[in-house]
Amino acid sequence: MIAAQIPGPSWLHSLPTRFKLLVLLVSGAVLFPVDDILILATCVGLVIGLYASLGSKGLVQLRLLRPFGFMMVFILGLHAISGTVETGVSVVLRLTAMVLMANLVSVTTRMDDMLDAVYPIFLPLKWIGGSPRKPALAVTLVIRFAPVLLNVYGCLQDAFRARTGRHSSWRLIAPLALQALKMSENVAEALTARGGSKGLSNND
Amino acid sequence: MAFWSKKHASRPEHRFDLSAATYASLENVSLKLGDRTVLDDVSVELQERRVGLIGLNGSGKSSLVRLLNGLRFPDSGTVRIFGAATTEVAPDLPRHVGFVFQNPDHQAIFPTVEEEIAFGLTQIGFDKKDARKGARAFLKLHDCDRLAELPFASLSEGQKQLICILAILVMEPQILVLDEPLTSLDGLASRLILKKLKSVEQRLVMISHDLSTLADFDRVLWLEDGKIRMDSVPGDVLPAYAADLDRRAAKAETGAHAL
Repeated sequence: MIAAQIPGPSWLHSLPTRFKLLVLLVSGAVLFPVDDILILATCVGLVIGLYASLGSKGLVQLRLLRPFGFMMVFILGLHAISGTVETGVSVVLRLTAMVLMANLVSVTTRMDDMLDAVYPIFLPLKWIGGSPRKPALAVTLVIRFAPVLLNVYGCLQDAFRARTGRHSSWRLIAPLALQALKMSENVAEALTARGGSKGLSNND
Repeated sequence: MAFWSKKHASRPEHRFDLSAATYASLENVSLKLGDRTVLDDVSVELQERRVGLIGLNGSGKSSLVRLLNGLRFPDSGTVRIFGAATTEVAPDLPRHVGFVFQNPDHQAIFPTVEEEIAFGLTQIGFDKKDARKGARAFLKLHDCDRLAELPFASLSEGQKQLICILAILVMEPQILVLDEPLTSLDGLASRLILKKLKSVEQRLVMISHDLSTLADFDRVLWLEDGKIRMDSVPGDVLPAYAADLDRRAAKAETGAHAL
């Protein structure tokens, strides 16, 4: 299975991976308690600016996130029904800022760099006899495949639209889940076929 | 070579004998998926350099090749690679048996070509820096260095399959198992990939629905309903199989029960 990636080099590609992840972590923590729509909207604007700084290939990447946009519209709709539009707007803006940023880190970082960056967090596992390589690989795969899942959702939407003329439906959630499971099976098999998460020379 | 555990090294069950003429064998192997029997008491020994597998979908081909790489294990019977039972040497099988999937998009784990190749090297113990260097050199050797930095997703179908094959070859297995590697390719790409496959020194075990690709293989196995229906040189098996397909198609309706 293939993860989306913006071809490098760019200034974002050349930033150290740990720095990018740290910025992501800190901005997530900082944004979490913020409800002010103006501040959140500014943040979304800033993140879009980051994409734009990569030129047209960055903006193309934004277009790939359209399915995510529909999800946000859906959340907003739920809030509208329950009469909490304002909360809905701030939730959607916060989510958008965070997902766009996480996606940006993901599409501008080599996967093995990502693996190296998260590896030390799991080193304590060695003390209790576990392998830090496994969860590091798992985390990397999660970060890596988030954009792929968005892409799959986009394909499902296309298939749905081709036969119904309508944009999207909650009914796509079940097939999306199934496709995600199938995809994880494929990735697992591909990994096993080449020696699995442990590697062949028992390197931890 | 200490790739098997020392305490097991004295028992032949646990040891690969890479000089053995028979590189893979199935002894009375049965395999079920759910309650469906996909392989039914199959016994076969492979010694030939290039072995083709044919048969209808669901005949057990994919299951059979997955047994060779340890992606599946038999419910009964024994599968041996270079004399070692796969159940005993499972973690080391991918070192000797490389597996190429039908759909390159299902095989590539990493986003860029170089990472995909380098992963194989880290798997066999290279550190990251050497793996990257090695991947570069390997890509250059196979005239693919200009693809190194590219996202895998941006490659043509033929390039994707070539990279998937190189990602396995870089681990230097003795056996290359391929599950319909040419199916997603156009006519030219399919010919070029086949040419590449025939140029490698590895033993090939390949599933194909395009019978012409197996014409100059050394041996072809025809699987049907989990059993080997015919096992001979391509000149005998391929025409017999094609005739059987024609006969079935002429007899059957095009409804669901036939397909």
